[in-house]
Amino acid sequence: MTEFSRRSFMLATASALAAAGIPFQVLGAGHLTLKIAILVEAGNIDLLQNISGLNTYTLVFDPLIRYGAGGKLEPALAESWNVSDDGLTLRFKLREGVTFSDGTPFNAEAAKWNLERWMGKSDFSWIGVSDAMESISTDGATGLTIKLKQAVPAALLEFTIVRPVRFLSPKAVDADGNQSAPVGTGPWVITENDNSHTVLVRNDAYWGAKPPFERIELLVVPDELARANGLRAGDLDIIGGDWVSPLSPRRARALESEGGAKIFADTGTTTMLLGFSPRADAVVADKAVREAVYASIDRAAMAKVLFEGFADPIANLFPPTIPLSGKPLPVPTRDVAAAKAALTAGGWEEAGGSWTKNGAPLTLSFLVSEESLPGSRRIAEMIQAMLAETGIKAEISSVDNATMHERRPAFDYDLTFFTTYGAPYDPHGTLGNMFLSNVDSGPDGKIYASPELDPIVMAALAAPDGPEREAAMQAIFDWLDANRALCPLVAAQRLWAYGSNVKTFVLPPTDYDMPFEGIELNG
Amino acid sequence: MTELLKSLRTWPWHIVAPVLLFVAVAVLAPWLTPYDPAAQDYMSILQGPSWAHWLGTDYLGRDLLSRIIGGARVSLTAMSIVLLAALILGVVVGSLAGYIGGRFEVVMISAIDIFLALPSLVIALALIGIMGPGYWSMIVALTLAWWANYARMSRAVVVAELRQPYIEAARIMGANHLHIFSRHILPSVLALVVVYASADAGALVLAIATLSFLGLGVEPPTPEWGQMLVDGMGYLEDNPALVILPGLALTLVVVSFNLLGEAFALSKVPRPARGLTLSRRRRDRAKEEAARAQVEARP
Repeated sequence: MTEFSRRSFMLATASALAAAGIPFQVLGAGHLTLKIAILVEAGNIDLLQNISGLNTYTLVFDPLIRYGAGGKLEPALAESWNVSDDGLTLRFKLREGVTFSDGTPFNAEAAKWNLERWMGKSDFSWIGVSDAMESISTDGATGLTIKLKQAVPAALLEFTIVRPVRFLSPKAVDADGNQSAPVGTGPWVITENDNSHTVLVRNDAYWGAKPPFERIELLVVPDELARANGLRAGDLDIIGGDWVSPLSPRRARALESEGGAKIFADTGTTTMLLGFSPRADAVVADKAVREAVYASIDRAAMAKVLFEGFADPIANLFPPTIPLSGKPLPVPTRDVAAAKAALTAGGWEEAGGSWTKNGAPLTLSFLVSEESLPGSRRIAEMIQAMLAETGIKAEISSVDNATMHERRPAFDYDLTFFTTYGAPYDPHGTLGNMFLSNVDSGPDGKIYASPELDPIVMAALAAPDGPEREAAMQAIFDWLDANRALCPLVAAQRLWAYGSNVKTFVLPPTDYDMPFEGIELNG
Repeated sequence: MTELLKSLRTWPWHIVAPVLLFVAVAVLAPWLTPYDPAAQDYMSILQGPSWAHWLGTDYLGRDLLSRIIGGARVSLTAMSIVLLAALILGVVVGSLAGYIGGRFEVVMISAIDIFLALPSLVIALALIGIMGPGYWSMIVALTLAWWANYARMSRAVVVAELRQPYIEAARIMGANHLHIFSRHILPSVLALVVVYASADAGALVLAIATLSFLGLGVEPPTPEWGQMLVDGMGYLEDNPALVILPGLALTLVVVSFNLLGEAFALSKVPRPARGLTLSRRRRDRAKEEAARAQVEARP
């Protein structure tokens, strides 16, 4: 066996250390990297498979139309578009000179090939334009025409979503037509991707504005405390977002008070609300009970205590960040006397702190699933205590995700939590899926449904864009409010935190986008 | 009675006292809690210990001391119900199997073996999956997951006792089955299973907390230690008391019951039930039987 002298050992160690240091030296010199924590691995980023988180796609793949701030439609791969008056023909003029990151040109043929991979397929019938597709045709290199069998009110919005509507290089498929690599036209190109991290480098052939830094690293950190510590230590630059790596209000306050990291909070696009069972024999079929529940809840205390102030009390179905969200309703303050008065007026009798009507007690079954909606049990406990002060007994039934998905479509509850879909899916997404009695809403169930409400929702969804649709939407919101059909609670704010490497942070348009646009790093 | 009083002096009080304290706190909970354990006060959330709240408050401003005490009551009640039910079911099934024998015994032993082959918690989870979560389904599920050990032990004791000459003598003298079983066999069975149960109580408290931790047991607003643990997880960094206190309570109770069970098994404490009145000779023999049955009962 060869023996090392002390000197050769020291020499070897020193050179090994120096070698290990080299990549970091190179990176430090002019190579700026944005490090973002992700909750789960990026996965295969296949446009037709529901495996990967949506945010990573937005770095690599472009849509025809972008969903901008406040729901404004902005040109992306399509420079312009128009919809015929009958809503049956969509014409797009595609951007010229765009190539995929493998060098394949993006043109009308490539776009048509992409759309035909999903439009008209049964797997994607949940997308209105796919369900209604009649034909796709090209007109030269930049003209694309889609004909529909029936008008789809949110057709253009549907072209802004992430999966499957974005565009893949026609060369990035195998013999069976399955995606073989995530090659898009977007600003970033994936160079490494495994279960611990994903590395993306800037696409220098990108058609749009180029990011001011060269690399993005997505690091898988499943634990929230570990993410916060990573941010504190400078191993991470950005954490947060509903889908990227959720940041709890409590953790955000803790990070904020330490002063190291900065918190970016903005009005959310989703509403958390209490849904009343639409079942005809449910206790909450009695409007007086719904009125009482609505008046018993202290939304301000909920936002302050459980969301640390990172939520806005709300009485509307949608927060004001959603287009066509209607006139803002005043947020009711808690009023136990009004709640009791509503019950008395509804024929309920109070005795010994509880209510009865025709001998039946006022007891509500409150379906909660911590697994489906993390944090919901604590909110349920708070609501339970608030209802108890009015004399309404709410029995919490905590269940797993599977049971939730069985009991919700069966309306097997009196009260349960719902969350609206948020941007870019709303208002059409939530209204079209969760408020129509004749639509199969799947495992998510319905927030409210009634034969009386159906025509109002249908009319709004079919109304032509502009003031007419605005009025038709308002009619839905007025009906819901007049019938006390739901009990909005709070709109949780969009929460992100960023470290000292980040000079400016810009919130992405929706929480399905990955933040990078407009972000500047300290060089 | 005098025998019991005399033996009190020889009891290992350092082992018995923590269990008695737990039982006393649980029984007297409604008079000991300074606040309603479910009362929320949003003006004083997540406070440290103070004169008003000795152990501080949780994220909804609820008094932690009151919740720990309330949790003791919930744990003790659920544990007692399950233990009693499992004990009765186990002793009845096991004794009948041992006493009747034949094909009935074979079928019963197979059933017992199936239950013993699977971990108790897996059985409980499967049963709750079928019945749906809730307090009473937790009780039923745990009972069905816990009875098999008692059945196996009871059967072993019954089979051993049946071979004894005094049973033969009783039969010759014309005693009926009920008399033989209740006067000559049951006391030996109980002497053993009660000892085992005292050690099992700790495991059961833990199982109840585990199911509530998973959201399958006690529902809010009833305070429960396992539930307090899971609800406090999000506050671990800034308010570790929310997790440490219920965890500590749980640990102390489990350790106390385990020590008590061990002391019982080593006869530092006189056996409860009929074991107290057994003659020294019979007590020694019961002890031997117990040791043998315990070895046999080990999965």
